Order: sequence, then structure tokens, then C-alpha cells
Amino acid sequence: MSTDTPATAPTLADLTARTGLTVLDHLERGAAVPVLDGLQAQGDLLIVPLHLVADEVALSGGAAGSGPRWTPVPAEGLELLRSAAGGNPHTLAAAPGTCRWTPDVHDRHRLALGVLAATAPAYLLHPEHGGSGLAPGTYAVRRQREAALRHAWRDDRARWSPGESRLVAD
Amino acid sequence: MTGRRGAENPDTESLSLLRRAAAIRDEWLAHGLSTEPADRPAAEAAISALYRLVDRPPPRFVWADSPGSALYPGSPLRRAEPTLAYLNAPDAVKGADPPVHVRLADLWSGMRSRLDRAVALRLRTPQGAPRPPATLPAVPPERALRDGVGIGAMIDVTVRHSLTVSLRDAVRAPLLTEFAACSPRPLADAFRGQHDAFQVGPYDAWNRLGLASYPAWAQGLLDLWSATARSCGWWWPGEEVCVVAERTAALHSEPMPDAVHGEVRLHHDGGPAVLYRDGWGAHVLNGARVPAWVLTNPTPERIAAEANVEVRRAAIERIGWDAYIDAAGLSLVAAAPDPGNPGSELRLYDMPESPVAVPGARTGPGPTGRVLVVVNGSLERDGTRRRYGLPVPGSLDDPVDAAGWTYGLSRDVYARLARRT
Repeated sequence: MSTDTPATAPTLADLTARTGLTVLDHLERGAAVPVLDGLQAQGDLLIVPLHLVADEVALSGGAAGSGPRWTPVPAEGLELLRSAAGGNPHTLAAAPGTCRWTPDVHDRHRLALGVLAATAPAYLLHPEHGGSGLAPGTYAVRRQREAALRHAWRDDRARWSPGESRLVAD
Repeated sequence: MTGRRGAENPDTESLSLLRRAAAIRDEWLAHGLSTEPADRPAAEAAISALYRLVDRPPPRFVWADSPGSALYPGSPLRRAEPTLAYLNAPDAVKGADPPVHVRLADLWSGMRSRLDRAVALRLRTPQGAPRPPATLPAVPPERALRDGVGIGAMIDVTVRHSLTVSLRDAVRAPLLTEFAACSPRPLADAFRGQHDAFQVGPYDAWNRLGLASYPAWAQGLLDLWSATARSCGWWWPGEEVCVVAERTAALHSEPMPDAVHGEVRLHHDGGPAVLYRDGWGAHVLNGARVPAWVLTNPTPERIAAEANVEVRRAAIERIGWDAYIDAAGLSLVAAAPDPGNPGSELRLYDMPESPVAVPGARTGPGPTGRVLVVVNGSLERDGTRRRYGLPVPGSLDDPVDAAGWTYGLSRDVYARLARRT
């Protein structure tokens, strides 16, 4: 019996018990959270294997060119983003010592919050969206954008304007 | 491996200064957002002292329930108007004895130049230190300190920038717009009482943190202006009469998205987000000022006639994208199954330009925008899935391409989406 690789994926209930995080009670807590190695979306966040965006997202140096600063993901989880109203965080959780996170990235589209590297399944949890399971690997976490409006000079009328955008905060 | 190289921890003295600065900022933010009745004796005392400093006897005070009462015939401000000469003749004749509001404005700017000079020393980037990036207000403060940003620049964004965003841009600006929108003619400058807190608060913070000291005359003036910010709303100083408005009576705010320095914006979907005691105020949704109809009676007809796209969007979200698209008859460009979201479709629509011509607009018609209507991957409490519209560039014709664009991905990469929750 291996303890590292559970025979079945944990359920939302297992994950909330493990991390102490909560999800809203209308989500199906008994459903297994599939652990996938591909692209996943959780509301306004996207988890994308780094190699799929290798041309656009790169790890960058921290202070004094010392390379990216990695933070170990603690047992209680690491908040990556909160909603516009300040609640409902997207939280990264993993077994201690198996996942690390860095915000030191360059993204050509300026959408990446950071990069995570996991050696065991890691989970992204959200009170309204539930859980996403990530197979071991390296992923960029990106925010969503929408086209922004431009106000013409002395013009109360905002216009759609391609080429400008703003981040979505749900 | 963390923390070995480069990543120095910010020193505890800097962290402690920053925490104290944030506490002082929050005090001033609370004054700016206060819904207590005005402290009339304190306001009258401070304004009288300011009059004396510009060689004018203390005025008679006329209190109004809101700035909006300036707009109603017979209101206290209208009745006092004949005594506020500058309201009728905003451009003072050159060479004439300056009216009291001009003298007060001079007093204010003289004080500010002196205080700015004292603070400037603290804002200078130390030699050899990196210049703070333009994005500094969005960088979490501990990270910025660790990256070597000077404590002076950090206090500046923590206090001055944050208060400016919250009080000038988020609260005062929509009220000024509302005021201008209702007013048949421009009214001369007022001083803004509680909504001037973003200007006096930073000087107070530098002083209380022990990082700047001011000559007694400048400190004395700062105390008087600070007293008005702590005690009343907008005020119009006239010869012999000063009209002072009450503070706000109700105010609904929410944290600004992604704020790291406590910035707030107005938001209330059940009525005016900011309201005065006589019912004057402004409707604001997620920081955007909207006309009252957006909350009380949004209809596709009104949306179609609305010139401001932000207002249209807020109104559409009130009635729901599905209802709006049906009612307004938006034309579908294309639809496609949503990768990773079984049973849901991505639908791309043309967003019509508003038919209203805007006088004085200098630009020609912009490119037609498109809106991608998407379906949430997770259920709402009521068991439905929320649908919402995301504006996308008009150059995109393919719904999957458009969905990819929202995450900075090509169509082909987005098509590999395995799961959406």
C-alpha cells in the first residue's frame, strides 16, 4: 500500500478537512476531485502547464538577479487571489514539502500570478468553485482579462477598444 | 531553497513604521467615510480661525444638509447665494481685493508648499537604491520592502496614494459628477471638508511618525484644515457668510479589487451608495457612478439609448445577459461547445454601438465590440449555472479563440482545457 498515491482521488470533503478551508455547502462534497495534468480553469483563474506557454511565461530573477524566490506551500494552504469584494480566495494546498510557489514570473500578457511546482498532487480550492487537482508538474497560474473601454477626450461615451484590457475580478 | 540569497527580510523597524502609517491612514479614511452628523462647533471654530488668518472677521454660518441643496431653489445655499459673490462672478476682476475664498485658497497652497518641502526629503530615493516602479501601489508592501524600495516611498503609497484613490477618486469624484450633472450652471470651488482628508492625512502621518516636522505656522494651519476634515462636509466661504454642508449620512463601500493598501470604492445595489440627510447622493455600482434607473428600472430600451458603455454594462448585469440579449436582439456571431465545461456553450455576439450622438466628441465611431457569453463551471446555490458576458476585441470571430484570448491563450491551447469548475 502506497501512502503517497491514493488509489482514489480525494473528495472535496477530504480536502477541506485536510486544509481547514471551507467550500460552500451546496457544492457536492462527496465527489472526487480529479487530478489532471492538463489545462484547468477555476472561475477567473487558469492553471496551465508551463510548457504550453513557454514562449510567453518565464521565471524571472528576484532582487539582485538571485533567481525566482520560491515559497513552500504550507499545510494550511497559500492564498493566490481574492475576489473583488475581498472574500472567496483561490487557495493552493498540498501535502507539506511537495509543492512550492513563486510570484517571480514574466508574462508577455501580464496575466500570470506565478508558477507552482508540485512533486505530488496539489489542489486549488475555492469556496464557490470547489477544487481542482493538479498532477505533479510545473504550472503557471493566470488571471482572466476582458477588453477594456477607452474614454475619448471630452467624451462621456466609452468605446470598445481592442488592444487594451483589464483583469476580471469575479 | 528559500531565503538564502537576495531575499532579505525587511527590517523590523521599517515594518513597524509601515504598520503605524497604515493605522494613521485608516483614521483619515474613517473621517473621509464618516456618516456621523457634522461636529458643528468644531467646524465653525476652525473655519472662523481660518477667516481671521486672512484678515476677515468670522462669518455667519449657514448649514445645509448636502452639497446638493445648492441646487434647489429656496435651499439654504441658494438663499445665502447673494452673499457668496463669487458664485455669481467666478472670475474675480484682476487687481481687485481678492475675495475670501481666493485668500483661503492662497493660504492653503502656501501651507502645502512648505509641508511638501519638509516631506520631500523623505521621498528622495536613497543613493544606489532602485527607483520605485510605477506599479508600486499594487505591490504587496512586504515584498516591495524586500525588493529594496525605500521606506519613504512605501509610506507615500500606503498613506497618500491609498487615501487619494479611496477618497478623491472613489468617493469625491462621483459626488462631483453628480453635482455637475444636476447643476444648471457651474458653481465655484468649494472646500471639501471630510473629502479633503486625503490631502491633510499624509502630512499628519509624516509628522506623527516622527519623519517630518513643520514650522509652527504651517503646523497650526494644518491643524485647522485637519479640523475641517474631521468635522464637516463641503463648505463655501463667502464674505460674511459661510455655507457648510453636513457630512454624508450613509455610505456603502467595498475593498478595491487587488488592493494592498486598504483602498476602497463605493458599491451598493440596493440604493444610493452615498446618501446625504436630505436624500441627495449618488448611485455607484462597483465603483462606477450610474444613473438611478440602472438600479430602479433597467430596460433594454434605456440601455440602448445610454451613451456610456460602463453604465450600459452595469445595467445589463442587473437584468442578466440572457434577458438582455433576447430583448435587445443582439446578433450571434458564432457558438461553440465550451472545452472542459460539458454541456455548456460559448456564444459570441456583436455588441451594437450606442445610437446616441455625443456632441463635442472628437473621435469617429470606434470598432464594433464583441461580447463572449460564458457559463460558469460550477453551480450556484439555486442549482443554476451563472452566465455572464466578457467584452472581447471585435477582431475575434471564433468563440473558442475569444475564450482563449481572455486567458492570453491561442485557440488551439485553450481547446485543450480539461476541466472548468
